[in-house]
Amino acid sequence: MLTNNTGPVAKLYLSIIYDVIESIRELFLDEGLEDRVLDDLKHLWESKMMQSKAMEDLRKNTINSSNFVLQLPANYTQTDQELGASVVIPASHSIHSFPMKNNSETLATFSLPAGLTYPVQIPAGVTLQTASGQLYKVNVPVVVTQAPAGQPPESKTTHKVTERREAAAPQSAAIPPNATHPQEAEPPSVPATAVTQPPHPKPTLPPGQESSLPQQPPVPAVEPSQRQGAHSPEPEVTLEENEPSPQPEPVSLRMTASPCSQMLDFQICTEEVLTHTAQLKNRDIDDILKEVIEEEREKAERARNRMPAKTDNQSEAVLGLDLDYNYSELSDIVQLDGPAGNSDIEEEEEVPLEENDFLGIINAEAVKALQEGDGSSDGNSISSTSDSEGADELANVEEEDPLNSGDDVIEQDIPDLFDTDNVIVCQYDKIHRSKNRWKFHLKDGVMCYGGRDYVFSKAVGEAEW
Amino acid sequence: MDSSNDEALDIIITNVVATFRTRCHLNLRTIALEGTNVIYKPEVGKVLMKLRKPKITASIWSSGKIICTGATSEDDAKLGARRLARLLQKLGFKVRFSAFKVVNVLAVCSMPFAIHLIDFTKNNRPIASYEPELHPAATYRIKHIKATIQVFSTGSITVTGPNVQNVATAVEQVYPLLFECQKPRYK
Repeated sequence: MLTNNTGPVAKLYLSIIYDVIESIRELFLDEGLEDRVLDDLKHLWESKMMQSKAMEDLRKNTINSSNFVLQLPANYTQTDQELGASVVIPASHSIHSFPMKNNSETLATFSLPAGLTYPVQIPAGVTLQTASGQLYKVNVPVVVTQAPAGQPPESKTTHKVTERREAAAPQSAAIPPNATHPQEAEPPSVPATAVTQPPHPKPTLPPGQESSLPQQPPVPAVEPSQRQGAHSPEPEVTLEENEPSPQPEPVSLRMTASPCSQMLDFQICTEEVLTHTAQLKNRDIDDILKEVIEEEREKAERARNRMPAKTDNQSEAVLGLDLDYNYSELSDIVQLDGPAGNSDIEEEEEVPLEENDFLGIINAEAVKALQEGDGSSDGNSISSTSDSEGADELANVEEEDPLNSGDDVIEQDIPDLFDTDNVIVCQYDKIHRSKNRWKFHLKDGVMCYGGRDYVFSKAVGEAEW
Repeated sequence: MDSSNDEALDIIITNVVATFRTRCHLNLRTIALEGTNVIYKPEVGKVLMKLRKPKITASIWSSGKIICTGATSEDDAKLGARRLARLLQKLGFKVRFSAFKVVNVLAVCSMPFAIHLIDFTKNNRPIASYEPELHPAATYRIKHIKATIQVFSTGSITVTGPNVQNVATAVEQVYPLLFECQKPRYK
């Protein structure tokens, strides 16, 4: 899957997704649902997760910039990209510059604005950075368009595919020859490439190498073509899942190569599923951009809300997915978190820090403990209270009762300023308070802070109230 | 509040404890879950709710009895108690503010002189008691105003009583006794 080039959080999430999907695969089959339904679910899930940016930033931070750099020969001539581009980004224009290790190489970094309308013409030598933080170096001029699915992959996309493909040496030298690979080479190579793909990524990808970015194209020119072929059907597969022979190979490729595959692949593929169509001509860019522009806008919030649910209730995470297929019906697990849930809020970081305000932490287990404890204690006190209150009322008839429904009482002027998105869901080892100084010893938690997700097994914090 | 010597003795009220009743049963779990700034103590069966302004900590029991501590004046205590009742009302309980009573007032005062505790205790038996091995202060209880004064050898005293007026009276009463036993400061 996309466990390469991911932070530890992303890896954890992906492994969770994988476990859940695998564990319910049989259930799906029993229900009579096709396997591709499950795959759709998985891709949808992963893509939403990616879009939520909860891990994107993490990934961005853990990625060595050098991996993203693809040197485009300065003398590479720009081939014509028809499709009148609505937006032409000049190669020299740099909206956003991402610190790259090889700054000496000519590259222009872009961040495509949200709301960008397709098609977009992107010249060669441009490094695209999606809003989710993913960087894609475009070695060949591309036109990003949004096109109906089912179109055969074109060579242009294949080039990009190679860019994002798994690790190897910069492909700059290979690009021009690749550029010359016309589409016609594409379809016939698809089955071949697909077959050859599985063994390829594994050896090339050092296990657990987060820094290996998909953008490192393989050195040999053959590989790019392989990748191209394999990659382009992938989006189609994820999109349609109805294509015959060439598709199953990539599909299986993806699944089998899960530990080694790139997160980008998933992004691309899942984006396809989520969005709708992609012009195969510029599929890869499309995927990224769609993911950024469309998906993120639409689904970022939802995905973000879903994130805590997913991480907290792994097995229940299926419920949190917003899919056309109502997977929640398959599970009887009650969703404790989620968009409608009342997430517990606390502002804290993994590093002990001092903050001015905080809210108490209550996790699901503690809530249950509270409920059980309260239920028993309240039940006991009710009967005694009613007896005592009867006597009190007789004795205290003359006692003042001037609450006046709040007319005289001053409204509490403490604002509700705790409505944040920074949430920690965890268990506590020890919570200590001295006057107004609090100390927290927490364990086994997930924290969403600043839109990013952090997972910890131990956390220590201090706060002042 | 002034001493009989025309000096102004600053009696600083540090803590006022008050109780009141809400006349309705309170669901502690609801308060713990939905209230802000609450500490739930299920083992004891109460919820602590802290208010920032006035700085008050309230112990809320499910019977509806609430003990309000940390106020710096009686008015503050009442204001805080009402705010608290208002908070509980907003949480959905049919709260009636009744039986508000200031239970305890703690004040500190500093004498401009040091005190010889042994002499003080000898002069004021049996009202004063002093056990240096147990506590470094001599305890002077004024029965009729129900005030307790702890006298330290440095000249600082703490006074606790049922209300602020009693506390003031106690200070006035004890001052001459302390003055007699003052320890001359050789500096």
